[in-house]
Amino acid sequence: MSPILELRQLTKVYARVAAVESIDFTLLKGEVHALLGENGAGKSTLTKMIAGVVSPTSGTIVLDGKDITLRTPSDALAAGIAMVFQETSLVPSMTVAQNLFLGNEHFFNRVRGINIAAQQFMQSLSFQVDPTVQVGSLGAAKKQMVEIARAMLLKARIIVFDEPTATLTPEEKRHFFELVNTLRERGVSVIFISHALEEALSISDRITILRDGKLVLTDKTANFDRARIVQAMVGRTLSQELYGTRKTSVRPAGRRVLSVSNLRVGNVVKNNSLSVFAGQITGIFGLVGSGRTETFKVVAGAIKRDYTNGGEVFLDGKRVRYRVPAQSVRDGVAYITEDRKIEGFFETMSIKSNIFMGLLAKLRGKFWLKGREVDTVGEKWVKSLQVRAVSKGARVIELSGGNQQKAVIAKSLVQEPELIIFDEPTRGVDVGAIAEIHQIINRLADEGKAVVVISSYLPEVMQLSDRLLVARQGKVVEEFSPIEATEEKLMYAAVH
Amino acid sequence: MSGTELNGGGQAEAVAKAGPAGGASFLKGVAFDQQMIVLLLFAAIFLAFSLLLPGFFTVGNLLTLMRTVSVLGILGLGMAVVVIGRGIDLSMIASLAVPSAVVLMLASKDYGIATSLLCGVSLAVAIGVLNGFLVAYAEIPSLFTTLAVGIGIAGIGQSGLFEYEIVPWPAQLAAISWIGQGSLLGIPYSVLAFIAAAIIVGIFMRKTRLGAFIYASGDNPNAARIAGIPVRPILMLQYIIAGLVAMFAGLVLSASSSSMDTRIFNLTWIYDVILVVVLGGIGLSGGRGGVINVIIGTLLIGTIVNGMTIMNVSFEMQNLIKGVVLLAALSIDSIVNPRNEETAQQGDI
Repeated sequence: MSPILELRQLTKVYARVAAVESIDFTLLKGEVHALLGENGAGKSTLTKMIAGVVSPTSGTIVLDGKDITLRTPSDALAAGIAMVFQETSLVPSMTVAQNLFLGNEHFFNRVRGINIAAQQFMQSLSFQVDPTVQVGSLGAAKKQMVEIARAMLLKARIIVFDEPTATLTPEEKRHFFELVNTLRERGVSVIFISHALEEALSISDRITILRDGKLVLTDKTANFDRARIVQAMVGRTLSQELYGTRKTSVRPAGRRVLSVSNLRVGNVVKNNSLSVFAGQITGIFGLVGSGRTETFKVVAGAIKRDYTNGGEVFLDGKRVRYRVPAQSVRDGVAYITEDRKIEGFFETMSIKSNIFMGLLAKLRGKFWLKGREVDTVGEKWVKSLQVRAVSKGARVIELSGGNQQKAVIAKSLVQEPELIIFDEPTRGVDVGAIAEIHQIINRLADEGKAVVVISSYLPEVMQLSDRLLVARQGKVVEEFSPIEATEEKLMYAAVH
Repeated sequence: MSGTELNGGGQAEAVAKAGPAGGASFLKGVAFDQQMIVLLLFAAIFLAFSLLLPGFFTVGNLLTLMRTVSVLGILGLGMAVVVIGRGIDLSMIASLAVPSAVVLMLASKDYGIATSLLCGVSLAVAIGVLNGFLVAYAEIPSLFTTLAVGIGIAGIGQSGLFEYEIVPWPAQLAAISWIGQGSLLGIPYSVLAFIAAAIIVGIFMRKTRLGAFIYASGDNPNAARIAGIPVRPILMLQYIIAGLVAMFAGLVLSASSSSMDTRIFNLTWIYDVILVVVLGGIGLSGGRGGVINVIIGTLLIGTIVNGMTIMNVSFEMQNLIKGVVLLAALSIDSIVNPRNEETAQQGDI
C-alpha cells in the first residue's frame, strides 16, 4: 500500500504550550488507522490540523506527494479529506437528503430530485436511511451514517473520525465497524480517535499512539496487545505502581451525608437513587450517557432536576433543592468539575488568586480584601497540594494539566467542604500528578469527609473506592465491594 | 488594605512593577506590552502636537483638554467595570444625560439639593437594575439590552420629562457647581473628579470582595458559578455601578457647561467611551485590565481629539479617524486577548 497522506514535523502551539510537537505520521491508502492516547495527548489537535480546522504552527502536510496548505475545512474537503466530529455537524431541522447535498445544491433545488439522488446514493453504500426523514429525529448511529455518506458523496479519500463510538450502543457499534470495513474495501483511508483499546485492536490495520503531544510509536495492529498500548500511552510502568495492587481493605461507612432518591433530569437521569457516607470514598463508574455527572451536578446546584417528579436530595438528612451552586457551597458541598477549562479555573489569574477566589466565594459578610491574605491562603494550599509552577506569579493557564487540576482542587478545598465530588479527577493529568491527586483524595476520606469519585477509568475507581456504584442509562444499577469486584464485572454491569 | 492587592488580571502587578524605576524587561505578557505601547503612543503624539501645533501646548488648551477628557474618563471607568465583567453598557450616555437632567430640573423647582440628588441616584440605579436584570436573568446579550434601554431612557427624557431639550444648571445648585467649575491649585475640579472616581473605582475593583467577583465572573462565568460566586447579582451590580458613574459624569459635565443637553444621546460619544476602554487595554473578553488602562486610554484619545480640533479637522473627518482607530484597537484586542475557545461560546456580549 502506498502512502496517501504524510505529516512532516507537524507542530501546533497554543498559548506557548505545544499541543502537538514535531509529529511525523504516514497514512496509507485504504488503511484503517487508530489514533490512541490519553486525554490531552494531542489527538484532536492533530486530526483537526489534517481536516483544516486548525492551522499548524509549523511543519508540512503532504497529500499524494504534494505539499498542501489547508486553511479551512472546505480546503480539506476539496482535497478529499473529511472529518466526522463527535458532535455531528449536520443540520437537525433538514432532511437527510438536504443534508447530503448541503452546499452543493443546484440553483433550482428540487426536493424530489435530491430525494431520488440521495436514495440511490444511500443504496449504493447499502445504508438503510430514509432520505426524507429529518436528521434531528435520527439516532446517533444513523446520523453518523449520513455524515459518512456526505463525506463519500464529496469523494473523500480520507475520513477522520473523532471518537465515533463513544455515543453508540453495542449494536450500533457493530454496524459502525461494518461501515468502516466497507470504506476500507472502497480504498478510503480512515483515521479514528478512540478511547476503547479493544475497538482499536479489532478493527484497525495500524495504530499510532500519542503522548503529551508527541508521537510515541506507530506499528501494525497485529504487533500490539492491550498491555503494550497502555504502556505506550502512559509512558512509564508507573501505572503498575498506581493500579497494580489490589485493594485489600476498605474504610467503614460513617454517617449518611448524602442521599438521593428517584432523581430525574430530562432524559439523562432517570429515577436515580444512591447514598454517600462520611469517611469513605464512593466510586461511581459509568459510561458516557449514564447520567453520573448530571446527578451530582444536581446535588451541587449546578443544574436543576425536573420540576415535577424530580425526586429528592437529602444532605445530612435535610431536604435540599439548590437553585445555584452558591447555596450548595455554603452547605459544604464541593463539585470539582471534569472540565477544568470551562468550569474550573480563572485563566487570567494567578494560582494564588484562583485559590483565594474559592475562599471569597464561601466567606460571607466580608467586604475588604487584604493583600496578604491572598498570599498566605494561596501559599498554604499550593504547598499542601504540591502545586508546582515555573514562577510564583504564574497563571493557571500556563501550568501542566496535573498542576491545573491541583489548583482547581485547592480552590474547592479551601472552602472546607464536607462532601467533595470529584468528576474525572485525573482526566488529562500526567501520571506523576495522578498519584498525588489520588493521595489527596485518600487523605480527605481519612479525615472523615464524604468523598465521591466519578470516573470512567476502571482501574482508578477500583483503586480509590471503598464502595463502588455502577451507573447505567441514568441510574445506579449495581453496588460492588472493591475487594470482590473485577474490571469485567464492573464493565458488564455498566454496559448491559 | 495594605500590602499587595488581589491580582485580578496579572496586569495590575505588571503595571505596579512597570513604573519608571522598575526595569520592565523581565516582565512578559501581552497585556503589559499593549499598555506600554499605548502609553508610548500617547507620549509621542503629545510631544508631536506640542512641537508642531501652535496653540496646543498652552495652559488654556491643556486645561480644555483635561476638562473635556475628564468626563470621558469618568464614563470610561464605568464602562471598564462592565467590560471587565464581560459585558458592555451602551446606555451610559442616556444614564449620563437623563438622571443628571432630572437633578437639575428638580433642583430648579426648589425640591432641594438632597432630594434632587436622591431622585437622580434612584433613577440611575433603576437604569442599572433594568439593564442588569435583562442581561443576568432574562439572558439577553448586553449589547442589545443596553442599546434598547439607552434609547428608551433617552426617549423618556426627550419626550416631555423636561421642559426644554437643554436643561440649564439652576441657581439652586450653586452649592455643588464647583464639581465642574473652578480649580484647585490650577487643576480643574472636573479633572479632580475624574481622579477621585478613578481612585474609588480602583479600590472597589481591586480591594473589595465584590470587585474580585466581577473579575472572576468576567474571566470565566461558569467557573465563578460553580465556585459559589453569585454571578447574576454580580452582573446586576456591574450595571448599577455603570449607571451611577455615568450620572456622576453627567453632573460634572452639566456643572462645567452650566446645562445638560438631553439630545446628547444622539452623539456618537459612547463609541469614544468604548475606544478609551479598548485602547487602554481592557480586553472585551473580560477579566482583564483595570483603572490604569482607562487613564491611559483617556489621555490618548483626549490628546488625539484635541489635536485634531486645533488642526481644524472637520467633525466628519474626526469621526472617520476615530472609527478607524476603534476598529484597529478592537482587532488588536481580539488578537492579543483571544477568547478561550471553550468559554467563548457562553456568556458572550
